[in-house]
Amino acid sequence: MMIESMILWLLGILLAPFFSAIILKIKAFFGGKKGPSLLINYQTLSKLFKKSSVYSTSTTFIFKLGPMVSLCATLTVLLFLPIAGHRALVSFDGDVIFIFYLLGLGRFFTIAAAMDTASPFEGMGAAREAFFPIICEATMFMLLVLFYKLTGELSLAAYFAETRPLALWHMAGSSLFFVVVSLFIVLLTENSRVPVDDPTTHLELTMIHEVMVLDHSGPDLGLIELGSFCKLFFYASLVARLICPFDMGHLLPNMGVFAGSLLLVYVTVGVTESVIARFRMDTVPRFVLSSFVLAFFAIIITMEFIK
Amino acid sequence: MVELIILISFMAGLLAFFIPKVYGRQLLVVIGVIHLFLSISLWVKRPEAIFKAYFAVTAEGMLSLIVISLLFFLISIYSVSYLEKAEIQSERIFIGSMLIFLSTMTMVTLSDHIIVMWIAIEATTLASAPLIYTYRTAEALEATWKYVVVCSVGIAMALLGSVLLRVAMDAGHIDAPASFSGMTAVAKSMDPRWLKAGFVFILVGYGTKMGLAPMHTWMPDAYSEAPSPASALLSGVLINCAYLGIFKTNQIMHAAGLGDFSGKILMIFGLISILAAATFILKQTEYKRLLAYSSIENMGIVAFGTGIGGIGAYGAMICLIHHSLIKSSLFLTSGNIMQGYGCKIIENIGELVSRMPRTFVAFFGGFIAITGFPPFGMFIGEMLIIIGAFRTGHQLEAVIFMISICVIFAGLANQIMKISFAETKTKHRIHVPKNMLWPQYVLLLTSVVLSFWMPETLYETIVVAVNSIGGGF
Amino acid sequence: MIGPLDTILSLVLLSILFSFGTSLLPGLIKVLAFQGVIVSIVPLLLGHEMATGEIVFTLITMVIRGVIIPLCIYLAIKKVAIRREVEPIIGFNASILIGLILIAAATLVSRNFVVPSISDSALLLSTTITLLVGGMFLLIARRNAIAMVLGYIMMENGIYLAGTTFSIHSRHIVEFGILLDVLAAVMIMAIILQNIKHTFDDMDTALLRTLKE
Repeated sequence: MMIESMILWLLGILLAPFFSAIILKIKAFFGGKKGPSLLINYQTLSKLFKKSSVYSTSTTFIFKLGPMVSLCATLTVLLFLPIAGHRALVSFDGDVIFIFYLLGLGRFFTIAAAMDTASPFEGMGAAREAFFPIICEATMFMLLVLFYKLTGELSLAAYFAETRPLALWHMAGSSLFFVVVSLFIVLLTENSRVPVDDPTTHLELTMIHEVMVLDHSGPDLGLIELGSFCKLFFYASLVARLICPFDMGHLLPNMGVFAGSLLLVYVTVGVTESVIARFRMDTVPRFVLSSFVLAFFAIIITMEFIK
Repeated sequence: MVELIILISFMAGLLAFFIPKVYGRQLLVVIGVIHLFLSISLWVKRPEAIFKAYFAVTAEGMLSLIVISLLFFLISIYSVSYLEKAEIQSERIFIGSMLIFLSTMTMVTLSDHIIVMWIAIEATTLASAPLIYTYRTAEALEATWKYVVVCSVGIAMALLGSVLLRVAMDAGHIDAPASFSGMTAVAKSMDPRWLKAGFVFILVGYGTKMGLAPMHTWMPDAYSEAPSPASALLSGVLINCAYLGIFKTNQIMHAAGLGDFSGKILMIFGLISILAAATFILKQTEYKRLLAYSSIENMGIVAFGTGIGGIGAYGAMICLIHHSLIKSSLFLTSGNIMQGYGCKIIENIGELVSRMPRTFVAFFGGFIAITGFPPFGMFIGEMLIIIGAFRTGHQLEAVIFMISICVIFAGLANQIMKISFAETKTKHRIHVPKNMLWPQYVLLLTSVVLSFWMPETLYETIVVAVNSIGGGF
Repeated sequence: MIGPLDTILSLVLLSILFSFGTSLLPGLIKVLAFQGVIVSIVPLLLGHEMATGEIVFTLITMVIRGVIIPLCIYLAIKKVAIRREVEPIIGFNASILIGLILIAAATLVSRNFVVPSISDSALLLSTTITLLVGGMFLLIARRNAIAMVLGYIMMENGIYLAGTTFSIHSRHIVEFGILLDVLAAVMIMAIILQNIKHTFDDMDTALLRTLKE
């Protein structure tokens, strides 16, 4: 059992760049282009790892620590994730709180590294990066309150492992639909996707996440990229488990179903990015706030039924 | 054949939209006569309604109906002359709306079903909105907008209240028709909590239409912007219609034994209205707004009297009837002043006494009457209410009531004296057609006559109506 | 488990939140149209026995509330081509939060009341309260005259919901009279809106302040 979980964890990390490439492919398709190969992200990573890093003389060790810590935090978080509905490697009651603070830790070090460069643009990006996820965190904790109300447990495995998601649907019914949408908005925000942020923009003024990593290069940048692939994988798995809550009983069919639903989530992200224009910076908070609203709303109507 | 009264004026109203305005004016008077005739025949014969589930002839309904008829008849005569002098772009819309307005008000007085009542009262708002916008100015537009929005939202509350009354029936496990008479009959077994909630909502809703503070904001604007015949109708009879809705709900409350609760709330709203009128009336600069605040005061008096019950409720009924007669006469007279001086601002008007002597008599008489001097009926009504307040032990309220009335008298007197006697530049007499004078005289005279001698049937009807809300001697 | 009735009622609640957060008039009108449709089909889902006439009446209500009334407003703003943004008195984000608090409060309040005929639906009473108060909030919190009309329509939706569900005896011909009144009111408001635009060149209710006291 442990071995299987271990393999799944490794597979998750290995396949995360592949899934991210799907988004690029979809966007290219909507733009009427052929798009890069599905393995593009692996090529980028290997290219980056072959280079060496360049450090500004004004930076300290924090700048070097940033990418490392944030990647490690993300990889640790993946340990708690019941991938494909299979039992997670580590799980204890209350681990959800730990998970979200781990993600917070990763973000803190990214921000700290960005501030360390003393570049005004990176400071601006850091401020934004700090601001939007505040609302996201509120949303996540609302969702946790909801899940806790439903299951009475505080661990990721209790919500997403095996047949648990199906049970959630049974208990909360339609309000879980709002949860899915809310989680999807969190996914877009946390991973700096359009319409909140544009990973491909070339103007520092409009960047959020990208501007913070401008000064990173070589393997450091590679670590950051890998971290962001894994982070997206984490959120996408949560959504995927909710939209496809079935348990086939065996590992392999489960993996198939899970991969299919993951694919769906990534395609949806790609389509969203293609059809929605990026929001103006002052309307972004309202968009992110709507995820909080949905989560809160789901709680209200669910509590009404459980009382 | 009761529904015929509603239908005739409605049809005439539709017709008026399409015929030339000369015929339209005649139609107005003809319908006024027919309506008066039918209303009187209602008093004589007391027929049954065809759709008994929705309509019924009740004592309070007949009282309001006869006032409406009489007023509309006199106002229609006044309007013919008024329209000749006034330059109104769309006279057909004005006449048509007047007639439909009459029809909807008649429907209010005759309706018995709670929802039909609501439909009729909302319809009065809609039918009278074009009347306020007659002059097509920016201010008129604003007044109309305020009127429609405030009244519609307010009356929506009353609809909610009506729904709650039905819930009160369900909660009491009774199956009776949702009519005022039906509910009064079974009121004892209705659920008191829902009943109270329903009453409060209905009071707020219809109270908006009646002009009770703090929901009165639309009233001064609408009254001052509408042409005088329309203002006379709005102030004279429309608010009676709204009061009728509250009155009938109050009947249910009394039948359910919750008269103390409803009385207390009515008294609070009444006192707030009187106080609000007393505060605002002092700084008014336009005479029609002045009269509007006086209406708010009078509606406060009526609500206060109804709340006191006993002899006060009788006084309130007297006040209501006399207020209709006097206030509509005052608004018609203000139309004369408006046409004579071409101005609504008090500062620019003066020496009414020498420039328009006969109008002055009607105006000053109306002022004396509305502020509650004998020999006019308001005096009797207010007197009875004060006596009633002391009898039931509401000394403090009675004192506030009297002080406010004195303040309002002072405010009105100050401005009216300016209009009547202040110096003006020009001195020449202004001619006023006869038809724009005698309706006011008739209205004031009726008020005087009614305070000395009241026909037996009228007295009995008032007593019957008042008894149902715990009033009487 | 949530039944179909509560599912669509939660959509109504969501539409209230959305209407608090949107700044575009056409969007606001569409939300109200959606709300009108959903509110008018609620009686079909109550599970009472319904005669053919009542079903036809419900469908007519749906057409009037969901199509004709929003269309009136839409044509009014289209004809006069006014600015399509709503100026808020209370900001949009704050409005959304107020909306959430409102829903929560309505849910809490509704637990204290027992309406005999709707005991099987948990959301009906709180949806009604939210619609009523939410409509009033729109009336107060937006400076645009059209948004005020939409607030009124939202209130009316709430009252309709109350009227059709709170009492078993309510399905009646008089409901039709109410509908006609509301329709006429909205039409008159639409006409006034056009005139306001012609007279003031804008829909800002701050311009409607010449008459005071």
